[in-house]
Amino acid sequence: MVLDLTMSMAILALMGALATIAGCLEDLESDVGSQSNPNSQVQLAPQMNFLHRIYNKAISGEPISNGLSAVTGGIVATVLLDAKFFPLIAIVIGAFVAAVIYGIFATTSYAGRVASQTRFKQPLYMDIMRYTTPSIIAHNFIVAFCLVAIAYIQYTLLGYPFTIPFLALIWGISVGAIGSSVGDVHYGGEREFQNREFGCGLNTALSGRIVRRAESGLRNSIDNVWFCAKFGGPATGIGLGLTVFFSSWPTTIWGYTWAAIGVGIAIVAVFVVLNRLIEYQVKNAYGPYKEEKNEKEAVAVAHTH
Amino acid sequence: MVALDPTLIMNVLLIAISGTLVCIAVHFIPVGGAPAAMAQATGIGTGTVELAAGSGLVGLITASYMYANEPAASMALVLAAGAMGSMIMIASTMFAGSLIYAYGVGVPFASAQIKKDPFTGARQDLYMSKGTQGQGLPTVCFVSGIIGAALGGAGGGLIYFVLVQLYSQSALIGTSAAAVAGVFTMGVFYVNAVIPSYGVGGTIEGFHDPKFRRVLPKDAVTSFIVSLICGVVAVFIGGGLL
Repeated sequence: MVLDLTMSMAILALMGALATIAGCLEDLESDVGSQSNPNSQVQLAPQMNFLHRIYNKAISGEPISNGLSAVTGGIVATVLLDAKFFPLIAIVIGAFVAAVIYGIFATTSYAGRVASQTRFKQPLYMDIMRYTTPSIIAHNFIVAFCLVAIAYIQYTLLGYPFTIPFLALIWGISVGAIGSSVGDVHYGGEREFQNREFGCGLNTALSGRIVRRAESGLRNSIDNVWFCAKFGGPATGIGLGLTVFFSSWPTTIWGYTWAAIGVGIAIVAVFVVLNRLIEYQVKNAYGPYKEEKNEKEAVAVAHTH
Repeated sequence: MVALDPTLIMNVLLIAISGTLVCIAVHFIPVGGAPAAMAQATGIGTGTVELAAGSGLVGLITASYMYANEPAASMALVLAAGAMGSMIMIASTMFAGSLIYAYGVGVPFASAQIKKDPFTGARQDLYMSKGTQGQGLPTVCFVSGIIGAALGGAGGGLIYFVLVQLYSQSALIGTSAAAVAGVFTMGVFYVNAVIPSYGVGGTIEGFHDPKFRRVLPKDAVTSFIVSLICGVVAVFIGGGLL
């Protein structure tokens, strides 16, 4: 389908918005279910005698589990589209099926992981499973919906050569990779070790000593997602939103030419500069760790003697 | 029986080369694995395979779209489109990750492998927190990651470019050439993203890491051989089993 520039930009903006929501919710889903790298601490905690009430899912790496969910949604949606279903309904049903299957994996994974920790006396809390699993399913439903919708737009309106399930799979893998790279740091680096001084840097000796008390009562995964929704989730959303938007924007405006590639490289250069500005700002704001003082003192002492 | 004409051998070699490109690319991407997710190591807080595949596949989407819209496009343009998609994915991921390291965890960026950043000249060792292997994404890692993504995206684009032309001539799968080429490209991508992960052992900071020089030659040779086999299989898919 050939679209004029205004319509192309409108579709691109819609895809960017969907990707932002998908990225944000994907990260929050990985926080409420505790998945990917930060889950290593949740898994390790009972071995350090830190029994906890945090959901311990980690179906697999985030890209793979989200890829699975997105491709399931994509396949169901494609089948329903072939049966002449209205596209929105087809995508919603596809996402729902994907989310329910994801929920099954989450439940079995949680039970299995905790069962393997019997010797460390980690209990399997049924109340945690009962009210956290629906939250995981709900988060994953929105992720799958957004990704299948992006795949549908790309396949039907923009004429991408790949099919809906394959595009959904690729975006599922990408959203997992971004969520695991961005938002998880907020969960693993800050929320799990919130009782330490902000910006102290986490000594590896602290591994497994996660925070188990919440703002009120004992901490569970719902408390974690509440915290991560303030920064980790939105930042992940920005990551995927920018990826989807800027990977298509140059070719939408400048056509399929070398000019578009040049613009893409210019965008990347801007990112390098922005990263450098952040680096410069935080180094000035927080300053070096104590070692510098000791080093300076040592040098000063050496000079005086 | 598949005849051994020079074009086929060329295609197999191109797939082997692009697989090796993907493998080399993975070494450039600064991944810190689980420790980086706790801000205990420099780099992006995820695994090598996941991130390399994630960025490479975005490159695959942009490369395939370029080829679909400009079937007469030169090979260089399709490769550049793949590289651009991958670079944008990794740049926006690292940028968003930096926001978290900077304002969510509150750590200054530091590389554990070098004393001064070769691009900015900023001191690294003083900003390293006690008991960690550095944290965040200093400029050198950021640039290294972008170079890696460019190589990976170009490699993925090259595999796709070769395969889609090969398969479109096939009587068996000619109608769905793009789909089969896409899936096979993804497979070759994963194979070549996994091989380096044995060498780098979970964490690598980029081209300035001593590990880079140590493991790259072995990994590249391994990857070339494995991709060669993938290339042969790819040709057989186009011709069927008989």
